[in-house]
Amino acid sequence: MDTLILLLHGFEVALTPVNLMWAFVGSVLGTAIGILPGIGPALTIALLLPVTVSVGPVSAFIMFAGVLYGAMYGGSTTSILINTPGEAGSMMTALEGNKMARAGRGAAALATAAIGSFVAGTIATLLLTFSAPVVAELAFLFKPADYFALTVLAFTSIAVVMGASRVRGFVSLFIGLALGVVGIDAMTGQPRMTFGIPALLDGVALTVVLVSVFAVGEILYVASHYAPGRDDIIPIKGKAFMTRDDWRRSWKPWLRGTALGFPIGTIPGGGSEIPTMLSYTLEKKLSRHKDEFGKGAIEGVAGPEAANNAAAAGILVPLLTLGLPTSATAAILLAAFQNYGLQPGPFLFSSNPELVWGLIASLYIGNFMLLVLNLPLVGIWVKLLRIPRPQLYAGILVFAMMGIWGVSGSVFDLGLMAALGVLSYVMRAYGFPIPPLLIGMILVPLAENQLRTALAAGQGSLAVLVETPISITFLLLAFLFLFLPVLLKRLRKTA
Amino acid sequence: MSLLRKGPWWLGLAVIFMGAVCFYASTQLSATAQYAAIGPGMFVAVVGLGLMGLGVLLLIQIARGEVFEPEEAENAIPGQAMDKRAFFTALLGAIVPALTIETLGLPVAAMLAFMLVARAFGSRRVVADLVTGFVLATLCWFLFGFLGLQLGGFFPLAGV
Repeated sequence: MDTLILLLHGFEVALTPVNLMWAFVGSVLGTAIGILPGIGPALTIALLLPVTVSVGPVSAFIMFAGVLYGAMYGGSTTSILINTPGEAGSMMTALEGNKMARAGRGAAALATAAIGSFVAGTIATLLLTFSAPVVAELAFLFKPADYFALTVLAFTSIAVVMGASRVRGFVSLFIGLALGVVGIDAMTGQPRMTFGIPALLDGVALTVVLVSVFAVGEILYVASHYAPGRDDIIPIKGKAFMTRDDWRRSWKPWLRGTALGFPIGTIPGGGSEIPTMLSYTLEKKLSRHKDEFGKGAIEGVAGPEAANNAAAAGILVPLLTLGLPTSATAAILLAAFQNYGLQPGPFLFSSNPELVWGLIASLYIGNFMLLVLNLPLVGIWVKLLRIPRPQLYAGILVFAMMGIWGVSGSVFDLGLMAALGVLSYVMRAYGFPIPPLLIGMILVPLAENQLRTALAAGQGSLAVLVETPISITFLLLAFLFLFLPVLLKRLRKTA
Repeated sequence: MSLLRKGPWWLGLAVIFMGAVCFYASTQLSATAQYAAIGPGMFVAVVGLGLMGLGVLLLIQIARGEVFEPEEAENAIPGQAMDKRAFFTALLGAIVPALTIETLGLPVAAMLAFMLVARAFGSRRVVADLVTGFVLATLCWFLFGFLGLQLGGFFPLAGV
């Protein structure tokens, strides 16, 4: 019951006109960037971080939540209408959705995606509402060694799951770890890896890294492999919304997609790719219209889209309760918390209930807003794709430099932007995944701190790391994750 | 001979080099602050050793003929040969801000960067791009300045 009362308070916070406006701004921005290529939710939130200077935390997070969900909606629109999934989570949607659009059923595909996202987002937010406080309570039991084991699990899983090769995933992770230790050591006050450069004493800011690897790296990569004029938007033919049959075939995939997406989203490294893939495979197996798969089966849009949105809510569980980001977007949200001097984790629920519950309540509101924004207005959204690509990417660079300059006012950071852009270019060109770098970088302080606290308490004995069942479980899971790619390969073959 | 196979050997070497730099940095940290066998340098050393080990693994993979599939991106053909001219034009666009922002200010620096990136993507309307970049940056300069960001002078060279 407590949860309900807290949630009602959250609605009180989220429903104030100012916060409603921020939710609206976030949803609009999110949808726009979901549709535009070259810019995703993590980059957008990173670029919006400067506003945290003048906007309160509650409003800022309400806006960020709108961006997060909005990007999912926008991503499905481009998948269906121009067959370019902006992110891994929309790949499966493109498979069937684009075929549906080509067959003149674009409106139905968009509708099942939007309503499915709404249903999944709402259910997942409900699950978040009731599971987060429980997990937060559990987290109080964690000892430093358990926390360290948890970060090891997060590191391993994200390095293994993202990208095609484990070695490259780990290279990316370790580069992130190296970037994360730059600066003054919090425990002893010694400068580390600063090589005598004063600008490095404060460490490398996650915003700078994120903006550089996503914006600059992407610009360099796309510019040098540019393929102009490939977008042909399929016009939405026929006003036919979903038919009775479409509804009948959609509602079960929505629920199954949610059931897959939410739990996997909460797991470190789960991301949105695996649940959408699983959902697609499952729907294909269960469907009575197997012959339609590959030619535009509505189940193949409904399931993965629901899974995608449910996973997005799922990532908020470990982030809010344990302070553990499991995706690039979650990493930047964590950085935003730190900007406000807030540390997500079990204490956040007791110290900042207004923020946590306001954020959760705004997810419900954001979902509703997005449904209203997306279904009738899709024609307007698609017009965004008319922005010529050269000027679009040029604009992204301008925003990137402004984001970095606005936060730090440091010429060194602007130089770093170019250097990290080149690094990220190489990583893209040779298939090194980017998210492990970001997760490694942002989690290093937590991992190192807990490790050192644990070892200090155990007077240097390594045995302290495997003393509790919790830490043993996490370390064991981390070890098992190393064998996941073999399993996934099988899954892909059957998909 | 597999050892003579053509491949991106430099990738493995670069990773080993990064690891070596980390490891070297860790040896520069005094051990006096150590407590219970773990000091500020321990983590850095582990990261350095890890990177070196991964670099060796990469080299082994390359020797075995590992295929490095590029990441997917919108508006790009991953398999297509790299357009070096476009790459360096865009890179120049990313470097220009660091070189000019203190003297010329954000709007002008952004204007130049905008034009260069647009050019890298094939736009040939130099003047139009310069104007667009300048207008966009000026609008942002006023808007974000209004929101309380420190974006520096409008045109520091002239003292504005």
